[in-house]
Amino acid sequence: MDIRVINIHNNSEKERISQFLINQNLKYGNDIEYTIALFEEKQIIGTGSISGKVLKCIAVDESKQREGIAAKIVSRLVKKQFENGRTKNFLFTSPDKIDQFTGLGFRLLSVAEPIYALLEMGMDDIDQYLHVLKKYQKTDSIAKIISTLIINANPFTLGHQFLVKKASTESDIVYLFVVREDKSLFPFETRFSLIEEGCRSFDNVKVIDGGDYIISSATFPTYFTRESEKEIVSGQATLDANIFINYIAPTLKINRRYVGNEPYCGTTSIYNQVLKKVFPSAGIEIKEVPRFELDGKAVSASSVRELIKNLKINETQKLLPSSTYRFLISKEANPIIRKIIASNSRH
Amino acid sequence: MKDQVNIGQAGTLESSDVLVFVRFSPQQKGIKIDLESPSEKCFGKMILKSIEDVLNDLGIWNIYIKVHDRGALDCTIRARVETAVKRAQKNKGEQEE
Repeated sequence: MDIRVINIHNNSEKERISQFLINQNLKYGNDIEYTIALFEEKQIIGTGSISGKVLKCIAVDESKQREGIAAKIVSRLVKKQFENGRTKNFLFTSPDKIDQFTGLGFRLLSVAEPIYALLEMGMDDIDQYLHVLKKYQKTDSIAKIISTLIINANPFTLGHQFLVKKASTESDIVYLFVVREDKSLFPFETRFSLIEEGCRSFDNVKVIDGGDYIISSATFPTYFTRESEKEIVSGQATLDANIFINYIAPTLKINRRYVGNEPYCGTTSIYNQVLKKVFPSAGIEIKEVPRFELDGKAVSASSVRELIKNLKINETQKLLPSSTYRFLISKEANPIIRKIIASNSRH
Repeated sequence: MKDQVNIGQAGTLESSDVLVFVRFSPQQKGIKIDLESPSEKCFGKMILKSIEDVLNDLGIWNIYIKVHDRGALDCTIRARVETAVKRAQKNKGEQEE
């Protein structure tokens, strides 16, 4: 039995892995960065892959299960992740394989029947994130409506500000989570500080780092890619929503979530549909707010980026809070503006 | 150099082994050990004691350790912890995450 690293640029090797996975009802995605396989007499008896901070496509030949092969594969992947500085791993699999991994010490975070399950192991687990969240908790015993908003704000526009203001007026406390993942054209630190500045006048709003557990590349990878099949997106949206329901909301006693209605982006509108389906039964009310409009057009971050891309920065002024606009015309924004001009990313 | 984060890892998730992650960071005050073990109820305290012994021998007072035990013998746990710590100390000078 030997373990080999698969050359993922070699189509025939990739095809072999892909075939092996299909027999186990798993799909070899195109987001894979690293794959290993275990061979016995030239036959594949197990395989596993890495995509960012997530271990996935892990499968063992049915006749070889219970022989510790999954443990060998996962250990090898964990070691590889460590070489890249990662001391924490998520694992994506199908619900029928959960036991195989909890037996290895993984903790189950979320299930989206019948296709996905998300687990984690290693340092800085969800308990530690919740511990950090508790520090933000306002101990206001008479607070009745405790709301949340989750925004990427790439960058923070008047549309976002309108949504936050509405939540702020209608709620006792608002926890505003900022998507952590640095896959947007505006980096996390910039997005975060522009949100803070744009929300300074709302004193019941707390701006919080969304971390790994709120719309991240672990909980919701297709949020950051251009498009995907509806079934995949809604499966991942369910994973994300369940984590929010089971961990985040109870920690902060959240009972309402605001979402902006989404006319343009397919992924977000599927996400909103999923939230509307699962949140109410968990005691969280969903408020879908129509987009803030200007001259009959919805104000969105993508329209701002579009204007920047077409070198019409002046025209963004009417779509942005003064803090965001001031940043855009400052020197600091130059590298970001250059990136926007050169890119054609959805984010 | 003082502000640096240093990480180390040793072991595997295979049966009768243990996987250990350690991290030195300026934010970490004191010793923090997270243990994940199938025999946590029976042997949790013993395992923690062994880890604390190893740290004490190495003169370490500030560290975060995450242990994924798969039913390892005491001597295995001690050896893995020591190796992970020494690897983290050796990593000093390389910037992590």
